[in-house]
Amino acid sequence: MTGQRSTVTREATSRVCLSEQAWGYLLAGPAFLLVGLLAVLPIAAALWLSLHRRLPIFGVEEFVGAWNYVQLWSDDRFWAACRTTLYFTALSVTAELLLGLWIALLLDGLTSIRGGSPRWAQVMIILPWAVPTVVSAQIWAWLYQPDYGLLNYLLRQAGLATAPIDWLADPDWAIHAAVMMDVWKTTPFAALLLLAGLKTVPGDLYAAARVDGAGAWKRFRLITLPLLMPIVVIVLVFRTMDAVRVFDAVYVLTGGGPGNTTETLSIYAYKTLFQTLQFGYGSALATAMFLIVAALSSLYLLLLRRHLRDVA
Amino acid sequence: MIARVILAFCAVFVLSCTPAGDQPDGRTLLVFKHGKLSGDGTVLSNLLREFEQRHPGVTIREELLPASSDQQHQYYAMNLDGGQAPFDLLGVDTIWVQEFAKAGWITPLDTLLPLGERDQFFPGPVEAATFEERLYAVPWYIDAGVLYYRRDLLDRHKLSPPQTWPELVRSAKLVLDAEQDADLVGFVWQGKQYEGLICFALEVLRSNGADLWEGDQERARAGLRFLRETIAGHRITPLSMSMADEESTRRIFGDGRALFMRNWPYARSLLEREGSPVRGKVGVVPLPSFPGYASAPVLGGWLLAVPQSSPRREAAGELIRYLTSPSVQRLVASELGYNPTRRALYYDETLAVARPGLKELYPVFLGARPRPVTPYYLLLSQAVQPEVSALVVGLKTPRETLEAVRRHTERIVGQRAPSVSAEGL
Repeated sequence: MTGQRSTVTREATSRVCLSEQAWGYLLAGPAFLLVGLLAVLPIAAALWLSLHRRLPIFGVEEFVGAWNYVQLWSDDRFWAACRTTLYFTALSVTAELLLGLWIALLLDGLTSIRGGSPRWAQVMIILPWAVPTVVSAQIWAWLYQPDYGLLNYLLRQAGLATAPIDWLADPDWAIHAAVMMDVWKTTPFAALLLLAGLKTVPGDLYAAARVDGAGAWKRFRLITLPLLMPIVVIVLVFRTMDAVRVFDAVYVLTGGGPGNTTETLSIYAYKTLFQTLQFGYGSALATAMFLIVAALSSLYLLLLRRHLRDVA
Repeated sequence: MIARVILAFCAVFVLSCTPAGDQPDGRTLLVFKHGKLSGDGTVLSNLLREFEQRHPGVTIREELLPASSDQQHQYYAMNLDGGQAPFDLLGVDTIWVQEFAKAGWITPLDTLLPLGERDQFFPGPVEAATFEERLYAVPWYIDAGVLYYRRDLLDRHKLSPPQTWPELVRSAKLVLDAEQDADLVGFVWQGKQYEGLICFALEVLRSNGADLWEGDQERARAGLRFLRETIAGHRITPLSMSMADEESTRRIFGDGRALFMRNWPYARSLLEREGSPVRGKVGVVPLPSFPGYASAPVLGGWLLAVPQSSPRREAAGELIRYLTSPSVQRLVASELGYNPTRRALYYDETLAVARPGLKELYPVFLGARPRPVTPYYLLLSQAVQPEVSALVVGLKTPRETLEAVRRHTERIVGQRAPSVSAEGL
């Protein structure tokens, strides 16, 4: 578009005295502004708030520097929430990635045998992800119900459990029950992304490998996995970000109990911000969560970069 | 996503076209914000229409919030903190009045309820609504913990309703042993990590002459031990109670699967309604206590308040006067089952017909004590909930729990004049 136009209007442009670079900034300006307003500004505001002691009930509003962060360091409840969050993240993301990969491979296999795309299978798979989290958490709360719950009924029928398991009330089980629900809900998301990745692997690579006598496992390990790596990292980044910030799934299931064993960072931040109205301290908690997500994401990207360099 | 954004913009546009307040035709618009009441919603709106007829020129718009107390608190805090609350009248939980008054969010209402008239109401809610010797809210309806029991089961085993906790344990064990019913449990109560757990824990500790936050540690530990023992030692309470709230305990008891239940009075009408498996088999008595101490129900319920920012305080006050009047309270009590805050109604002839069990609640409400009456209460409760919940599931001993509770309390209340050097908040 600019090719023809620019020769014609060069004179006009030079009259306005704007270099190409300046034009570029001018045109990209609105987009920058929008991103700034929607993303950077709120983050900056939360950071600024976290440097204050703000308790509207007591009319307290003062700048305290890093005081909230010093408090955070000696707050046992914060560290417990960190441990719970990271445990939840590690378990759920690992399970989601492995299960998602398995489902993606199955779906990919279906496609190549039948030729056509098995739309119904994809729709079936994506369903749990389409249900609003609060709704599915409520459904799972019923499934976990120790006396009437479907889960205990199935276990008893299968002869795997003699006494009913208190999925949510037992402090050893509660967090794992939350993980299971999260895995059920978000594995489809991982599977769909990975399936898209599998479609990009050229078929002739497999054909060539077959000719060379490579078995299924070898083909998977030497062709599929390396080429899928960028997608795997994307899945990891997305899922980790979501898992570290997990709120509604766990909050609806357990409210953070019993004995705080399922209180994640978001739940602690929510209670601090909205139930006890400690806006400064709550913002510090939210900022800490942001930093954890940022650190984990950078770690993944670093690993991806190293992997890509090794491949090259 | 885009559709949602457009919808949100439309909503903002529509709302901004109908601002609360005086309308162009000179009418006064009052916005009444409160949590959804259970039962027939038209009962309250009909009452509001009647008020409008009596006060020409006043229109009331009722705006409902979700029934969850936490969500309502969040909504009120965000809107009142802005200084321009979009409502003129609000329903407040007993435990919020101190906080809202301290923050200057709600206005004193002494003139609505002069000192001389306050003893027409139960003392608990009035105490909860009094901040620095001024009244900030008028009691709307009242709640307190009570003990539900299965009359048929106790009769069959020739037992009377328990008056002490050890008696409750004995009766429960006896009935459970004799019935040999795998589905029957002894005693259900609210053990989830939330405000309801604090209510029950306070009721147990206070009925042993102790308290969570301060005072005698020996008796407080004994109370905490009892709480845990119902699950682990006496085995009259299932572990699943550590996730139970009012409704889940009400359902277990309502299915006929529990002998005793601690709950608020609201459950009674639901247990007695047509088709209920326990209809006609339920009794209600004051909560038991430990030998030598009195039953100690915790106060619940709601009050009505007016935001400081409302320019229509006079009209709002008029509406409060109406909603808390004897005739309206009588109607709400008989139609919706909410319990009046005016004491005289408990001896009212017409109400005695519509609500036969009401009279028995009088001594319970009279003795109901509020949770700590301080603006710090929500901080206290929030800090202590995880500790008591940990006790219930056996993660902490009574000693460890009490030490942690006292530590939190000292940290929060010990810094009455908040300053940078203070630790904690």
